[in-house]
Amino acid sequence: MNRDRFHPDHPFLYADFFPTVWCAGCGIGTVVHSFIEALKASDITPRETGVVSGMGCSRKISECLKLPSFSVSDGRVVDFSVQYGLEHPTHQVVAFLNNADFLLTGAEDFLQLRNSGHRLTIIYINNFIFNTAGDDGFPMTPYRRKSFDGSADLPFNIPLLASSVGAEYIARWTPLRAGWIKNALMEAFQKKGTAVIEIISPCLVYDSESRRILDAAERMQFYDGRTVIQNFSPLNKLDLREGKKIVLGTFVDSAPGEDKR
Amino acid sequence: MTIRIEILKERCKGCGICIAVCQTEVLRLSGDTNEQGYAYPVVEKNESCLICGLCEMVCPDFAIWVRQEEEEAMP
Repeated sequence: MNRDRFHPDHPFLYADFFPTVWCAGCGIGTVVHSFIEALKASDITPRETGVVSGMGCSRKISECLKLPSFSVSDGRVVDFSVQYGLEHPTHQVVAFLNNADFLLTGAEDFLQLRNSGHRLTIIYINNFIFNTAGDDGFPMTPYRRKSFDGSADLPFNIPLLASSVGAEYIARWTPLRAGWIKNALMEAFQKKGTAVIEIISPCLVYDSESRRILDAAERMQFYDGRTVIQNFSPLNKLDLREGKKIVLGTFVDSAPGEDKR
Repeated sequence: MTIRIEILKERCKGCGICIAVCQTEVLRLSGDTNEQGYAYPVVEKNESCLICGLCEMVCPDFAIWVRQEEEEAMP
């Protein structure tokens, strides 16, 4: 094969992973691309990282990266990341979480962080539903829109929860703003404590069933018109609900020497 | 200075995000399909590319990238 036909991120990826397992236009691939770009742009040795992912669609992230990566059991992602970080203090640990890892089985692990100040970057890929289980309701399922039918409860406010756990850096972006995800990751790598980055990446199955959006490009324009960037807006105004703009941006960015405790 | 937009058509899933984000309409969807049955993008107007790298950044399948090459000096 001609050497020119290799992707610039080729050294970070297993070639036999392609074509990827994700749906056409799924945001998880964009998040992985932004992560690799951030890793290349910051002065982190690829050997001195730790990529941890749990179950579901985001499990495949640690399987495709040629980095010290771990697929751990359902919900034990944050716990494993903290222990890995304690074992290797020089490593940059990055945890890719999905809904179940973050808010259901993994919620207790996340709450156990409780201002402990572990050096850890959490990337939460919020796709609003359980992709595989389909019919279940979930803390992040939009109001009156369950996976397919309708939820009676309002969704969770993730930046507020992350702030109460003592995160030093909190941001929220969509996969369309991939450059901003890269910048947020580069800033998060500088922090000495926990950083939480929420990625609003709605599942294509959910959108095609409930909103009749069948095309990935159409979905991208749909969410582009419904998002607004407001940096450092109050954390209690950031909940997601129908008929309200999704606020993106950096919400908490602590100074290097500042002690959140 | 030449611009080269590389597309690995066997990786593409035809989501069309690269075509939607391109501001200068460099790419278009081809009528052909790859081995898995997806229509992949092809370069239509190479000269109007701004090298912003948006298509490379948003591609979830690592299938497209943009390179800028120095022209070889005439002997």
